[in-house]
Amino acid sequence: MSEAQGQQGSFGGVRARATGVTMNETRIAIRDLDFFYGSNRALKNIKLDFPDKQVTGMIGPSGCGKSTLLRVLNRMYDLYPGQRATGQVMMDGENIIDPSMDLNSLRARIGMVFQKPTPFPMTIYENIAFGVKLHEKLSKAEMDERVEWSLTRGALWEEVKDRLNSSAMGLSGGQQQRLCIARTIAVRPEVILFDEPTSALDPISTLKIEELIDELKHDFTIAIVTHNMQQAARCADQVAFFYLGEMVEVAPAGQMFTAPREKRTQEYITGRFG
Amino acid sequence: MSATTATAGSVPGPAKNQKISLALGRRRHRTNLIIKALCVLATLIGLVLLASILLTLIYLGGSGLTLNVFTSVTKPPGSNGGLLNAILGTLIQTSVGTLIGTPIGLMVGTYLAEYGRHSTLANSIRFVSDVLLSAPSILIGLFIYEICVEPFGGFSGVAGCLALAVIVIPIVVRTTEDMLQLIPPSLREAAVALGAPKWKMIVLICYRAAKDGIATGVLLAVARIAGETAPLLFTSLGNSSALGSMTTPMSSLPVTIYQYAGSAFQDWVQLAWVGALLITIGVLATNILARFALRGGR
Amino acid sequence: MQQTVILPMSSAGGRRISIGDPIFAGLAFAAGFFVLLLLGSIILSLFFGGMPAFRAFGLSFLTSATWDPVHHVFGAAVSIYGTLLTSVLALIFAVPLAFGIAFFLTELAPDWMRRPVGTAVELLAAVPSIIYGMWGFFIIVPIMSQYIEPTLIDTFDGIPVLQDLFAGPPFGTGLFTAALILAVMVIPFISATMRDVFDTVPAVYKESAYGVGCTTWEVMRSIVLPYTRVSVVGGIMLGLGRALGETMAVTFVIGNSDQISSSLFGSGNTIASIVALEFPESPAGSLKLASLLALGFILFVISFIVLAISRYLLRPRLKA
Repeated sequence: MSEAQGQQGSFGGVRARATGVTMNETRIAIRDLDFFYGSNRALKNIKLDFPDKQVTGMIGPSGCGKSTLLRVLNRMYDLYPGQRATGQVMMDGENIIDPSMDLNSLRARIGMVFQKPTPFPMTIYENIAFGVKLHEKLSKAEMDERVEWSLTRGALWEEVKDRLNSSAMGLSGGQQQRLCIARTIAVRPEVILFDEPTSALDPISTLKIEELIDELKHDFTIAIVTHNMQQAARCADQVAFFYLGEMVEVAPAGQMFTAPREKRTQEYITGRFG
Repeated sequence: MSATTATAGSVPGPAKNQKISLALGRRRHRTNLIIKALCVLATLIGLVLLASILLTLIYLGGSGLTLNVFTSVTKPPGSNGGLLNAILGTLIQTSVGTLIGTPIGLMVGTYLAEYGRHSTLANSIRFVSDVLLSAPSILIGLFIYEICVEPFGGFSGVAGCLALAVIVIPIVVRTTEDMLQLIPPSLREAAVALGAPKWKMIVLICYRAAKDGIATGVLLAVARIAGETAPLLFTSLGNSSALGSMTTPMSSLPVTIYQYAGSAFQDWVQLAWVGALLITIGVLATNILARFALRGGR
Repeated sequence: MQQTVILPMSSAGGRRISIGDPIFAGLAFAAGFFVLLLLGSIILSLFFGGMPAFRAFGLSFLTSATWDPVHHVFGAAVSIYGTLLTSVLALIFAVPLAFGIAFFLTELAPDWMRRPVGTAVELLAAVPSIIYGMWGFFIIVPIMSQYIEPTLIDTFDGIPVLQDLFAGPPFGTGLFTAALILAVMVIPFISATMRDVFDTVPAVYKESAYGVGCTTWEVMRSIVLPYTRVSVVGGIMLGLGRALGETMAVTFVIGNSDQISSSLFGSGNTIASIVALEFPESPAGSLKLASLLALGFILFVISFIVLAISRYLLRPRLKA
């Protein structure tokens, strides 16, 4: 791990970051995780740690299971019968995939931002307030303050502060995605999951959101699934590479993109497949 | 190698006889033109029929449209009666019928789209709803008569409202299910990801996203039941001079029109036309409103 | 800017008791179940209401053409005959017109014309049936009796079979006129279904036909119609279902006779019209009322079958 210190590899012309020196405590620890779509085993024996207040990138070719894993973390698969998970996903001493887990409060602690911006058909203010109202009783003044705080941290406040009562559907794609991020932040989660958050956006919006993620990691543990390796290199502290439902390798970002251990990782990174 | 001089260029094979080809082409062209003309004719016929109906209503109904129609109740022939109680009766029964039928239809549509989906039970309910949608409305009237009029010994306004509600239900079911299914899964997941329980996701997010479409469905249902006569003949029947009430026969515009149009009295027939005009204006306006609301919402 | 998150009170096991979900799901399920109950009740009430008639007359109820209130003998044959005849005849008139309109709107009309003309045709479907009844009675019947029926009677005079079919005093009312009115009512339903399915034909099929020089009609005849054949029939069945149950439009113009007439211009009854006309004079508990309810049950069975077939034909199918 210490090899990564100070190493600034170059990959695709983008400088990969040097990771933090010390290992933070682990926020989420996955052990022996299997996931099934019906009888099809989509995730095999996953073991992965998500360090606190760091960005973990998850890369791999289409269908490798990275999004599936992300959606295990907030039990999104519960919506769909026929999908199930076995194993341990430990957070604060509780196993997330245990059936007795209270899903609504779990999802207040682990938030998710999706690939396609999904503003609710309401005003900007109501969008932010929606999640908060599910879990907290705030006065109007407190709610105003929370909305402003969320939009500020979501890098959207300046652009929308004068039109909080206009419809969220009127925002541009990049703004809508930042709104979704602000909405997720508003419930004060501990972990934020990003599922290919910029693949539907233009390059400028993408950059803004990557900068945003860089700031957010000071307060939140972040996991980001991306098919864009440069993005993983830019944003992530540690990167996990998935292939065909298995986690092939996990390493600090600097090391992953300059000196990966596994042959499959190397082939993916150099563009042999996927 | 017995090709005639009429082969195309140097392409080998049997020759194309230009004369036959051209003759065939002309005949096919002619057939095409004839069919096209017939289709235009068919469309014109359709439009002429619509125009005929509307013009008849405007001409025969408009000529009797006076203030008295709206201020007087129905009276015996020759007494200069109006249609006030009939209009009120229709407004009341239509509203109450919609108020009863819409929530039920909404919940069934929600069940089909959000809970049952493609299960056997859901498919059966869907099928039954379609049957109710296309069932002759006179049979609905007979049914309500059997359970609501005969046991209680009399026609009543509430029976009329119930009959109309039964007609409303399948219309709202169909629209609700269609509109809810249009909502992208990502929107639902976004709500759930914030910690919303399923019922809040449905009520606060899905209904809100689908509200324009559902409202259109309700409007279409209103337009449909406002003009229904047959079910009311067996349920609320009508009152000759007053509005009636929920527990006694209640007058309505379609039933009054039916009674007046078939009568031998000139002023009654005139009033029937006025009533017909009023109902048609109301129904068509609601229909057009619903269409443009739907398009505007998209 | 650290704010403490106040999570709602939770019980010791960490699970918040949420009753919203089961209640709402229960309501939705109950509503669905209610709809099933509703249809079941309708079928049962019509059947049991008509029981006295079925018991009194047995299966001959279906074939007997007697309708005698005085002697309490009732038979369904006249109404069933009228129902089927007017509906089938209505389809014969409506289908070509509906097809012409659908063809026009999908292939021939310029773009700017499609929406207004399409809406106009669909407004025909929105007009309440009692309006059709009045329009039919006051406008169409005189035209029939003064111009059309005498012309047709004279035209077919002397031709065997047809002269009996188009015979009789030209009252203007009768089965033929009823069929015409029904046809007008049913055209928008059939043409709307046809328009919808014609639009689903993938452009590549039509383009390849145009590419070898087919005319518009030929493309319709050899590509579009075969491709949509099943759905078109489904739409026609849907129109048939509508025509079978139509009451007010028919009641005004059918002439209300309790005999089967050999001429199309003769009077008759449909199930719906006889129920509407005879109901006021049917005391509760009487055999007459039971017969009307039995007729209602028969109509329901016929409509149900037609509707089920139509739905089966119109179900979304996987295209190869």
